[in-house]
Amino acid sequence: MWNKPPFPAPPQEAAPSLPRRGFFQSVAAGLNGAALTYLLGHDLYAAEDSQAHHHPRAKSVIHLFMNGGPSQMDLFDPKPELDRHHGEAYFDKIAGEVEFPDKAGALMRSPFKFAQHGQSGMWVSDVMPHLATQVDKMTMIRSMHTTNLTHEPALYKFHSGTEFTGHPSLGSWVSYGLGSENENLPAYVVLDDPLGLPVNGINNWQSGFLPAEYQGTRFRATGSPVLNLNRGYVQPDAVSDYERDLIGRLDQAFAARRSHLPQLKSRIGTYELASRMQLEAAEALDLSQETEAMFQLYGIDHPETESYGRRCLIARRLIERGVRFVQLFINSQIWDNHDAIATTLAAACRRTDKPTAGLLQDLEQRGLLDSTLVIWGGEMGRLPIAQLPADKNESNAGRDHNKNAMVAWLAGGGVKSGFVYGETDELGLSAVENRVSVTDFHATLLHLLGLHHEELFITRNGLKDKLTGVNEAQVIREIFG
Amino acid sequence: MMNRLLPTVSLCIGMILPASVIQAAVDYETEIKPLLRQHCISCHGVAKQEAELRLDAGVLILEGGSKPVVIPGNSEESELFQRISSGDKSVRMPPEGSPLTTREIELLKNWIEAGAVFPAEEVFSRSPHEHWAFQPISNPELPEINCNEWSQNPIDRFVYAKYQAEGIEPSDRASSSVLLRRVHLDLTGLPPTIQEQDQFAEKADLNKVISELLSRPEYGERWARHWLDVVRYADTNGYERDAEKPFVWRYRDYAIKSLNDDKPFDQFVLEQLAGDELPDRTLETMIATGYLRLGHWADEPADPKTDRYDQLDDIISTTGQAFLGLTIGCARCHDHKFEPISSKDYYSFLAVFNPLERPREGRTEKTVNFEGTEVYAWNETSPAPNPTFLLKRGSPSNLGEQVEPAVPGVLVDQQPEFPSAGDETCRRRLGLANWMISQENPLTARVIVNRVWQQHFGEGIVSTANDFGVMGAAPSNPELLDWLSYWFIHDADWSLKKLHALMLSSRSWQSLKSPTSINRYRRLEVEAIRDSMLFVSGSLNPKRFGPGVKPPIPLAAIEANTDKGSVWQVSEPEETMRRSIYVLIKRGLIVPMFESLDLADTVSSCPKRQITTIAPQALTMFNGQLTQQLASSFAERLRAEAGSDPARQIQLAWQLSLSHHPSDSELEQMTQFLEKESLEELCRVIFNLNEFYYPE
Repeated sequence: MWNKPPFPAPPQEAAPSLPRRGFFQSVAAGLNGAALTYLLGHDLYAAEDSQAHHHPRAKSVIHLFMNGGPSQMDLFDPKPELDRHHGEAYFDKIAGEVEFPDKAGALMRSPFKFAQHGQSGMWVSDVMPHLATQVDKMTMIRSMHTTNLTHEPALYKFHSGTEFTGHPSLGSWVSYGLGSENENLPAYVVLDDPLGLPVNGINNWQSGFLPAEYQGTRFRATGSPVLNLNRGYVQPDAVSDYERDLIGRLDQAFAARRSHLPQLKSRIGTYELASRMQLEAAEALDLSQETEAMFQLYGIDHPETESYGRRCLIARRLIERGVRFVQLFINSQIWDNHDAIATTLAAACRRTDKPTAGLLQDLEQRGLLDSTLVIWGGEMGRLPIAQLPADKNESNAGRDHNKNAMVAWLAGGGVKSGFVYGETDELGLSAVENRVSVTDFHATLLHLLGLHHEELFITRNGLKDKLTGVNEAQVIREIFG
Repeated sequence: MMNRLLPTVSLCIGMILPASVIQAAVDYETEIKPLLRQHCISCHGVAKQEAELRLDAGVLILEGGSKPVVIPGNSEESELFQRISSGDKSVRMPPEGSPLTTREIELLKNWIEAGAVFPAEEVFSRSPHEHWAFQPISNPELPEINCNEWSQNPIDRFVYAKYQAEGIEPSDRASSSVLLRRVHLDLTGLPPTIQEQDQFAEKADLNKVISELLSRPEYGERWARHWLDVVRYADTNGYERDAEKPFVWRYRDYAIKSLNDDKPFDQFVLEQLAGDELPDRTLETMIATGYLRLGHWADEPADPKTDRYDQLDDIISTTGQAFLGLTIGCARCHDHKFEPISSKDYYSFLAVFNPLERPREGRTEKTVNFEGTEVYAWNETSPAPNPTFLLKRGSPSNLGEQVEPAVPGVLVDQQPEFPSAGDETCRRRLGLANWMISQENPLTARVIVNRVWQQHFGEGIVSTANDFGVMGAAPSNPELLDWLSYWFIHDADWSLKKLHALMLSSRSWQSLKSPTSINRYRRLEVEAIRDSMLFVSGSLNPKRFGPGVKPPIPLAAIEANTDKGSVWQVSEPEETMRRSIYVLIKRGLIVPMFESLDLADTVSSCPKRQITTIAPQALTMFNGQLTQQLASSFAERLRAEAGSDPARQIQLAWQLSLSHHPSDSELEQMTQFLEKESLEELCRVIFNLNEFYYPE
């Protein structure tokens, strides 16, 4: 029914005979990433029902997270009806869905001009001129919706599947399931913004109740991304190896007498990884190896896009070297455009548009786009009505939060190209056709990586905990290429 | 209701259904409760009860509202099921937002069909006023237990009684060398010296050691840091220019001195909130109010009106969490969704702090001059402040009713009386502080007792140390918490040192850490790790107090800064060897080692250090300059004190850093290592060991 899978089917005879229920428990007991990848690849394919093969379409993920809630009807979801009804009162119909009712204005058209782009003719507004050239690589989901219109719970929902803190993040689940393809780098790397942490801070990439080795490894936002990769002193490698070996032996003995403390084992693992990172991380993070043309492609040559472009380029270099999940954050919430959306949204785009487009182009040039899933989106969407400033001056109006409609796009990694999925109503207030919940999105993402959301679990207190929790989850197969 | 219905229901299921069906049954705690919490309880919970219905506890669900909503065993007849699954939007629940998914509806249906079973011991409050933490502190009877070893200390009786009730075998008492190390690290953040170890080996009088350590200045330097976490201390303002707060370090020094003086905790609270309004105010109590000015802010805010309320919100949120264990800040824009705290409560609380003004000239922070000393504090200049209004939806341009200073209504039957205005200030903060430390307020003592417990035992009796509200965790041993809180007020007169001594002299605290014991392993905080390294290598500069110091940081950390030449002017070498509490905390540039090893968040109150375990930590500790430098000093010290005999060097190294003799196997591995490698390298090995980070 679906297009052919991009990878050949794995040999069936290699499927392990582990009972499925216990499989991930034995993983938790300490199989390393490489072994895991091997086993998992086989186990999960073999288990797929007769409906279709279920190969990983993507090997790795670059998650461009747009904190704050980018406005769908000003970027990717044009609403001519909003132009027509601009200025009409609408508030009474949606009073319950507005965070700041006293600031609610009338229906407001987008201050930006939309045009169709590429062969697919996908609509993009004029604040994203660079990304507009890349639409034929993208699947645009216009019908996303979430469960809470407040940032903190909505962020937890998007990153961990529940509205509360303490649950493993997306990247943790994926690295728990698949490990890293490069044992010299962490499986899950977070590149946050030099200007500051996003809302919810480091909880956005926590491993929750999964072992600590699955949390996002935050590379530093300013200066060198990883410090002390080189020894601050002169010493032959053999000596350092001997030292580390001794630390490892003593730590193992200490941990063995305290087997109920998984963090001791995790800590030993960090020394092993740290030592391997020395071999490769410096090279991976060394942007001086890149050409001037590459700097221009990512906008690193321009002050406004320098920071985000640098991180996009680092993301590509990490993915290239087998990192499983790279997540980019932006400081605070530049997409939370309550005020003056005409200028504040445009500013957010100016920081990110060119680097994002550059990343997609570069991944394709290098043949990495097929195996890399790029995800773009925030934790919520915005309302079709205006949010007015104190002086009620409409030219400074913004938009309030909306949990019933939000937009996200995916590119590469086995999704369709130049494809639009789902619709919002004529005003962009709610997703109405082919609705995609955050849970569906998670299940789909896991599926693309060859993981099944019901099978990726950890047993706690006798219960199965999953990314999708008790929520109903639907894999959106329609977007698969 | 519960007695009548529940046992029958669960009994029936147990008898009639085959085992396989029971296993497949929906689990209330993990499957039903979370979905009700997500979809229903903001309107049908303890804070708000539309249609007099509550869905936040099994008993209440069965009780229903004006009529029953769940008929166990019959989902079709159950209104709860009818309403969530209805296709008619005017009937369907929830009335706003997304309907439940078909899977969620099915879960609820199956749960009702299976008899709507829930655990009999589910804890909940009938009304927010009944919430355990809002009740007066009781003085529970000490449990009678039949074990001498666990009868001496009141804490042990409660702990042992619970062990017995749960069928847990208490773990053995830890060895004296373990205990000596534990008590030193716990109270001072430094390991015991060789001399102290020898003395203790001769005569293991732990209580004597406890009281001796509590009298050392190092105690305040360790424990003030825990308090600085709670009050989100930093030396700069954050944001773009991240300017230093002039003389803010006097507040840090005040915290250290107050703990070392064993200032009663109620006095400590009073001084920080209203030290300027006390009749007998002194320079010290003025400095204490620096607490109110520790937050972060932009020096050129885009919207000054909102910025003003942001700063007040920061004070209110921190004050609510730090002293009351309440998340008051969430009621800024609307009534708190989960706690019984209304917007009016919020703005009435805000009215207490609203008269404050932050002295500044343009972007430049100004200090207050008190008897010739620069004090970093807010200023209150008029005994008759402007009125405070409720802001509808949190908007400064949308004024609601005028509000008067008050404490959250749910905590009191009658509002405390606020004193009349003084000569210079309106004395509202004094009114609030006096109520906080009064017997009318059930929270302040419980919250601080729990914080101290958490630090000693690794996990609080209430695991959410900043949240004692309805949504916070229930206490694991409520009688113990109440007994301790009552004792702390009435017998210890709010003395933290007495509280420490009581906890540390308990058999509970002296137990070996095991999976079931009440004391837990926790990695040392970065300050204690660094200070221990300085201490055992003989490098620690004991100089106390004064402006923050800037230790060297890797150049790569600031290479991208436009002001890299000036952003971090490293202090004189001997200054950089001081204890970590004196290291400058610059919000925009945290010392990388501190950042990597999980320093507290500097933006909001930190109830408990997060612990991450990531490879950059290993890189910092193995490759970093500080380790290298201190490993050299440590090696020098070993040569000086142990001579050239490797066995003696190893013995001494082990004793100094890990407070015990090496085992035979450790000695053998170390000796082999030293045959090939240098003592410096051995010292680096020690500074990286699990055992160095996770004390017994």
